[in-house]
Amino acid sequence: MRLDIEGLIVHFPYEYIYPEQYSYMVELKRAIDAKGHCLLEMPSGTGKTVSLLALIVAYMRQYPSELCKLVYCSRTVPEIEKVLEELRRLLQYYEEQFKEKIPITGVVLSSRKNLCIHKDVRQEKDGKIVDGRCHNLTASHVRERHLTDDSVPVCTYFEDFEDYGNESYLEPGVYTLDDLKSYGAKKGWCPYFIARHAVSYANIVVYSYHYLLDPKIAEIVSKDIPKNSVVVFDEAHNIDNVCIDSMSVKITKRIIERASANLLDLAKTIRHMKEVGPRRLTEEYQRMVDGLRETQQARETDMVLANPVLPDQILQEAIPGNIRDAEHFVGFLRRFVEYLKIRLRVQFVVQESPAGFLKDIMQKVCIDRKPLRFAAERLASLLKTLEIADQTDFSALVVVSHLATLVSTYTKGFIIIVEPFEDKTPNIPNPILHFRCLDASIAVKPIFDRFQTVVITSGTLSPLDMYPKILDFQPKVMTSFSMTLARPCLLPMIVSKGNDQVAISSKFESREDQSVVRNYGQLLVEIVKIVPDGVVCFFTSYLYLESVVAAWYDQGIVTTLQRHKLLFIETQDPAETSLALLNYIKACERGRGAILLSVARGKVSEGVDFDHHLGRAVVMIGIPYVYTQSRILKARLEYLRDTFQIRENDFLTFDAMRHAAQCVGRAIRGKTDYGIMIFADKRFSSEDKRSKLPRWIQEYLTDNLVNLSTEESIQCAKRWLKQMAQPFTREDQLGISLLTLEQLQKEGVENIQQKARQKIK
Amino acid sequence: MDEQACPRCKTTKYRNPSLKLMVNVCGHALCDSCVDLLFLKGSGSCPDCGVPLRRSNFRVQIFEDPFVEKEMDIRRRVMRDYNLKEEDFANLQDYNNYLEEVERIVYNLTNNIEIVSTNQSIDRFKRENKDLIAKNRIRSGREEIILEELLEEEKLLVESRKRAIAHEEMLEKKKKMRSKEALIDELMFSEQSAASIVETFKKRKLEEQEELERHREPSPPPLVAATQFSTGIKFSQRIPKDGFLPVPKADDTPLFKYEPLVLTRNGPSAPTWEEVTEKKYINHVRESSVGERAGGYLPQLACLRALEEAFDGLRTVAVARWTGQVA
Repeated sequence: MRLDIEGLIVHFPYEYIYPEQYSYMVELKRAIDAKGHCLLEMPSGTGKTVSLLALIVAYMRQYPSELCKLVYCSRTVPEIEKVLEELRRLLQYYEEQFKEKIPITGVVLSSRKNLCIHKDVRQEKDGKIVDGRCHNLTASHVRERHLTDDSVPVCTYFEDFEDYGNESYLEPGVYTLDDLKSYGAKKGWCPYFIARHAVSYANIVVYSYHYLLDPKIAEIVSKDIPKNSVVVFDEAHNIDNVCIDSMSVKITKRIIERASANLLDLAKTIRHMKEVGPRRLTEEYQRMVDGLRETQQARETDMVLANPVLPDQILQEAIPGNIRDAEHFVGFLRRFVEYLKIRLRVQFVVQESPAGFLKDIMQKVCIDRKPLRFAAERLASLLKTLEIADQTDFSALVVVSHLATLVSTYTKGFIIIVEPFEDKTPNIPNPILHFRCLDASIAVKPIFDRFQTVVITSGTLSPLDMYPKILDFQPKVMTSFSMTLARPCLLPMIVSKGNDQVAISSKFESREDQSVVRNYGQLLVEIVKIVPDGVVCFFTSYLYLESVVAAWYDQGIVTTLQRHKLLFIETQDPAETSLALLNYIKACERGRGAILLSVARGKVSEGVDFDHHLGRAVVMIGIPYVYTQSRILKARLEYLRDTFQIRENDFLTFDAMRHAAQCVGRAIRGKTDYGIMIFADKRFSSEDKRSKLPRWIQEYLTDNLVNLSTEESIQCAKRWLKQMAQPFTREDQLGISLLTLEQLQKEGVENIQQKARQKIK
Repeated sequence: MDEQACPRCKTTKYRNPSLKLMVNVCGHALCDSCVDLLFLKGSGSCPDCGVPLRRSNFRVQIFEDPFVEKEMDIRRRVMRDYNLKEEDFANLQDYNNYLEEVERIVYNLTNNIEIVSTNQSIDRFKRENKDLIAKNRIRSGREEIILEELLEEEKLLVESRKRAIAHEEMLEKKKKMRSKEALIDELMFSEQSAASIVETFKKRKLEEQEELERHREPSPPPLVAATQFSTGIKFSQRIPKDGFLPVPKADDTPLFKYEPLVLTRNGPSAPTWEEVTEKKYINHVRESSVGERAGGYLPQLACLRALEEAFDGLRTVAVARWTGQVA
């Protein structure tokens, strides 16, 4: 289909288009025209990815000077693969249209674990070990030694890539992980480094969030991306947490112990090297005296992404004298580690700001702020000089050095919390030092500053105005799209009381209440009786799940459930969970029907889709608030209030509702799909909770579906299920939720726009 | 951490929770009861290395690593004299060299390398920089000052937040009490049915809450401690690097220039000061008393003002009425 979107000719690879896809493209084009950031919410399964790709590819072709690169960030490997499949289809369509290959390269970058083709290394299961073994084979000094001594092993794939592949470019086309691997195997080049190299010249790069958000990785991977690129964060409803995690450090007793061991190793290596050949150490020392000028030169050209871990200030100065010498630096780290040990030896919880920490460290172990700031950089240089290939052994010390650099660099937006034990087990000492970022905007700020357009998109971003606040940016376009449907294929309901009129709620006071638990069980039993195939049920926490299931067992509800469907439970063990999930899917496929009890914020709620018969009903038992007693959360709430004027309750509700929406959204993955969404908690019916649901759910959550009892909801569901069971063909959709080109032109742009975002009453 | 043990009597922290490890200048640890036993006379030699020690020099071990303990001891001693700040050096390179020198001295002393020559160099340094060292003992460096200010700011912030929360809570409590009383009064004296009164009160309460929500002002930014005048001069007398106060910020806003006020009257111009007397308008105004004249009051003022008021805007009214009719 050839579309004209406000003067831009877009080739759309399908014969039909959804009205909301059309409006999505219009909004996206406006944002790119304005060179601003945008925030777009569109229900999952309505073709976000293909609209995004179609528009941006068209834009890149028409205005290559305005826009030269698309960086698409997604969360998981399957999602990334899906994006590439869409892209391949799009490019194929272009080829058919123009009868020639178009010069667009799309490439994926993933970890070494997913890309390695070395026959020994790829056997490893753990990503860190793969990285370590790869370093062992490819580090420059290992390769140097290999030149004189053949017994030192190197990776032939990497060698060949260095010799020949470095200069060559991939042919235009789309390269998935498997494509890269087979290409690498054919040429004898390392696929990982092909991809790394391709990131700099490919038109479309697809990878995980961390390559852009985590400052430690972004420095290496994403520094060459030009300013006139579009960055897309897909499934971005959790982006603030990703940002915060990438800037936070957690120090446990184990890390400290391993760091101490690392320091002893370092000291030994230095001594050894001094005896054997001090040349390298003196060279390094000379470099230290001259300063980190190399890095600075790279940054001056504005080609390097400003790294928040390494502030500009550092680059302009030479390394402070007291950590220039390798031995002095080891002594310095030793003091720092000893200091952390003292801090971990606490009896009660300590909360402190970075400024307080710095003052204390000055008094206790005479460490100034300035050398601390250089710790991470200095350690990296030392490890390089000492020719330590496998840096995984030193990960503990690296973590400690990151802490040193962060704590001395940022005085605002961070907090230090030392907990002597976990809240659940106050008798078992397990001290942890949290250095926690409170401000999500610190990590994403360089991205917003640097790239002309950043697109944040997901199926559940409501309420939209919260994201600009917590990420501290000004979006040019901020829209929520609804889903145009030929039939009401989702049935959201708020069940607030049981058949005996007892209000059901997961709030703390009524958690232990047997009648509430029984009513939840009753609700589930009734649903299981009438809903075919798969039913998914989300609880607020593992703890609550366990206690409820235990009570159900005593009340005989579990046996009743099992009479209708097989029962599977998500646990904290990932292996066990994936087994349960596998069998759940099997049971649904066979037509036996199954019920899965899982937990909001767990693995199932975030990454697994229950499309079609895998999830005909989703029950959200309780409102998934975070554990509000956690000190880290409290500190963050306080910070949000002081800095961004967001009230505690607003943020907590926002966070709970986005997770609830995320959970129930698992059931609907397209327009032909259908599913029931039950919010089983009295508190959902209050206006402030309801209004925070995504628009596409709110639209179908009419007043007669709010505040129901179990029986009423079952009646609604029965009627609705019969309606859904009628045959449904494409012709039914045409003209309403699916448009051909003629219909699109006939309807006129205005109408379509309106259809896609009907006002909610 | 739990496996702390005395090297001599092998008592561990686990067996004796009140175990306290002590260290002396040599950096070897002993538990407090061993110290009592061995140093009964006030002095003796270290059981590990045989260095003669005084009992009074024993102190509680803070660090787990006795080596770090020893290093810190030496470092503190060295830092007492080597207390120069970055501001005392001509350039960064000199400062960095100085820092390295300090580090080298500490390293040598802790690892017993060239102790004699190192101590000599310390003495030389002390002699050469006597004045500077004495001066630096009383003042603190730039970084420390920044930290102090930050801490002060944080303290203020916490306090102001506490106050704000307390204030809000009090207001809410008062309001709740008041509405409760009003409800009871209403129930006592009103003729309406109790149910409807309760209903209206509930509704009103909800509305009020919404109103509150809507008008809630963002909390004001916390007060930042005033550390400088508006000109940029710091309150406290800190001597900057070059020994002079910073040059006050030049105020380059343009000077005030008087421009006579132009009045738009929208009516006939009132008589001038002279005309008021000439044309006898003044006769209709009361003569000013002695007391009033002392204050600078003249009858012309009142007369002029009354006239101006009467004439002002005469034409505006006509226009306004005309447009009103059309609409």
